[in-house]
Amino acid sequence: SLLNVMTSKTSLLKVILLGDGGVGKSSIMNRYVTNKFDAHLFHTIGVEFLNKDLEVDGHQVTLQIWDTAGQERFRSLRTPFYRGSDCCLLTFSVDDNQSFLNLGNWKKEFIYYADVKEPEKFPFVVLGNKVDVTERQVSTEEAQQWCQENGDYPYYETSAKDATNVAVAFEEAVRRVLAMDERTDHLIPTDTVKLHRKPRSAATCCS
Amino acid sequence: IVSSYSFVFQVIFEHEGVFIHPSSDDDGIDPDLLISGSLRLVDKDSSSVVEWAHSPGERVLETQHSYETEWDMINAVSFRKRPCSNGHERSRWAFSFSLRELRSVTVKQEGWSFLIFKLKDSSSCLPALHFHQGGSTEFLDAVRRYALLSESVDDASCLVVSTPNRALSQSFENLLDDNNYSLVNKLKKDPYVTTLGGFSKVTNYLFDALRGTEEHTQRPPEEMADLLGEVIPGLDINQQEEPGFEVITRIDLGPRPAVSRREPVSVEEWTKHQDPEGRVQRVPQLKEAIFKGGLCHAVRKEAWKFLLGYFPWNSTVEERKALQRSKTDEYFRMKLQWKSVSEEQERRNSRLRDYRSLIEKDVNRTDRTNRFYEGIDNPGLVLLNDILMTYCMYDFDLGYVQGMSDLLSPILYVMENEVDAFWCFAFYMDQMHQNFEEQMQGMKTQLVQLGSLLRLLDLAFWNYLESQDSGFLYFCFRWLLIRFKRELSFQDVLRLWEVMWTELPCENFHLLVCCAILDSEKQKIMEENYGFNEILKHINELSMKLDIEEILHKAEGICLQIKSCKDLPRSVSSILGFTSDPRDPRDPRDPHRASQRADTCSNGHGHLTEAPALVS
Ligand SMILES: Nc1nc2c(ncn2[C@@H]2O[C@H](COP(=O)(O)OP(=O)(O)O)[C@@H](O)[C@H]2O)c(=O)[nH]1
Ligand SMILES: [Mg+2]
Repeated sequence: SLLNVMTSKTSLLKVILLGDGGVGKSSIMNRYVTNKFDAHLFHTIGVEFLNKDLEVDGHQVTLQIWDTAGQERFRSLRTPFYRGSDCCLLTFSVDDNQSFLNLGNWKKEFIYYADVKEPEKFPFVVLGNKVDVTERQVSTEEAQQWCQENGDYPYYETSAKDATNVAVAFEEAVRRVLAMDERTDHLIPTDTVKLHRKPRSAATCCS
Repeated sequence: IVSSYSFVFQVIFEHEGVFIHPSSDDDGIDPDLLISGSLRLVDKDSSSVVEWAHSPGERVLETQHSYETEWDMINAVSFRKRPCSNGHERSRWAFSFSLRELRSVTVKQEGWSFLIFKLKDSSSCLPALHFHQGGSTEFLDAVRRYALLSESVDDASCLVVSTPNRALSQSFENLLDDNNYSLVNKLKKDPYVTTLGGFSKVTNYLFDALRGTEEHTQRPPEEMADLLGEVIPGLDINQQEEPGFEVITRIDLGPRPAVSRREPVSVEEWTKHQDPEGRVQRVPQLKEAIFKGGLCHAVRKEAWKFLLGYFPWNSTVEERKALQRSKTDEYFRMKLQWKSVSEEQERRNSRLRDYRSLIEKDVNRTDRTNRFYEGIDNPGLVLLNDILMTYCMYDFDLGYVQGMSDLLSPILYVMENEVDAFWCFAFYMDQMHQNFEEQMQGMKTQLVQLGSLLRLLDLAFWNYLESQDSGFLYFCFRWLLIRFKRELSFQDVLRLWEVMWTELPCENFHLLVCCAILDSEKQKIMEENYGFNEILKHINELSMKLDIEEILHKAEGICLQIKSCKDLPRSVSSILGFTSDPRDPRDPRDPHRASQRADTCSNGHGHLTEAPALVS
């Protein structure tokens, strides 16, 4: 809309992908940002993030997508990066029941370390990845039920390999965040957007 | 300055298995109920906060009365885990308080240690924390980094808490790699360390702290200088500078010498170093040649076995054959152990199951573009898998940790033999073991050491990193965990590793490799004014863009530059293994050094040159 063009605001949103090793977090991130699937991708060591600009319902958004290593041992490395997340994508693989069972633990870890003020209201989105695989261990119904029981989270069945639902899921994540409140504290003029997010209190002055 | 610290939430200390015994505090509760939780000391919104929370999904358990020792307790706990039945349980018992609110801690023993906290606000009462699984000493040590604990006059078990100005203690956080030194001791003992150790930052904190007390009426610079001089011996502040700049003492490293490198050691040259029985001769010269140029690929398969310690340098060909025979038996015996585990057994062995599934996943994601591991049915993949599984049997406590497949892959590629690759890998893991252990102590130590080196090499860059909350050097994690395996092309990894395995020209040469890479990036990082995230991103994206020969040149130059520095701080010489003990007759340096050093200490900064440093 004209108003949007004139004010030209961009929100910087931080989303974080969590889930067991091997469920496809890095592949999902790469599919979304570069639109490629690399079957030879290395397993993640440490912490990485990629940025992606998009428009959702007339809002300009820069998504900062964080990806971490899932092994328990590396917990102290990844958890400091949870802070300041606007949305968490809880990821499992439909061909790995254990990764589905672990969703709850990932959620807990996130809430604890991200220091979320109101966990009931925090926007989680659940991704069941690798739907292109024929041997499923987790049914759509089971996954949907978990999402419903745990806070009515949106659920997407994705495939990083053939690009199913990946963009849709990220867009939904953005919508959830935007719907949370007016998000005025994220609105900063486009030309000053930095990867590095200002503390919320400091950013409100710009809105 | 202070506020920039709250951006990253830091866990200073964390310990699972710290219990509360609610019955003693609360009626109507099963008297045997123990609740296990995790205790943390975190750095949060500019204050240090102690938090205890019931561990999610963990043992709310009743004890048997049989426990008398901690050991029994541990057994009782680990066998009686059960999932947490409702989400409120955790928040019901959880508590937290800031160290500033704490009046005292009383330490009691009852076969295990437990701590009783008293807050300044006496109306709130906290449950005692029972360290059934150890950790109380470590916890108190962590607290000591932020607060002064002094024994109460009438009760030695009661430690009275006073919190010195937080800004000051916080600024030392990175300096204090081991907790045994109190802040002041360390300052007195080694003024050099503090001189290097982000003194500008320290002074800034002090300025800030002093200013904070009287907000607008800032003290005149001379008065500040006096105050600081009292607090920190050895600090010299030049008052003639413009406001906003401080001149602080620091070591002048002198110019960085140029170094030359050579061509790789050829098959011919390698063979010349062997006597007729196959013993390797003139090992120091050979190592020097390898350090300077690496190895031709054809030599690697043999030479790496020596470099890694699998073959002794002075062994004969016959002895090595015998060694290989016995190591082959040993390998297959261990391999058979996991190969012969039945499905039934594995169902009851969750650790083995977890190792197996993790290895399987990671083998499929390791160097898959390399011809040795590409395609679906490549035998290289099976070997990678089998060696890692066998390593789990060799060291079941460690098992498999992500990153290990990266360390094995180049070795297997060079050895082209399962048994040799296993043993070379096992020797390499001896060096790297600490990186992968539960507490990742090796990683922490290296990050702290790297920090000391960076401070010495370029204080302004170090200060910049700290100002961007990047002083913990998170962005070097992958470099250090797997020795640059993901940063360089496969062939360059082989070169770098063989160079490092010569253990020349100093200890911890890989840290100087980090310094060399950062030296090439620091200008960009500072000019572009990169923040915490951007630094991380920039460093991650260097992967595969680095030039190994350039890095090795620079790293060796840095080593020589540091080595030739006269007043090297002890902490740095010990990281790099330059002997600094004056009683050591082998010390190659100036014999008068010891007395010079004493002089330097007594007058604070006699031998140090002064150079300006811009402080943010
Ligand atoms: N068939 C299929 N395989 C996938 C998909 N996403 C990821 N993978 C594969 O699963 C493995 C793990 O993926 P990765 O992105 O490294 O998982 P992460 O550990 O969660 O980051 C890799 O071998 C990927 O190629 C998918 O949608 N379909
Ligand atoms: Mg990954």
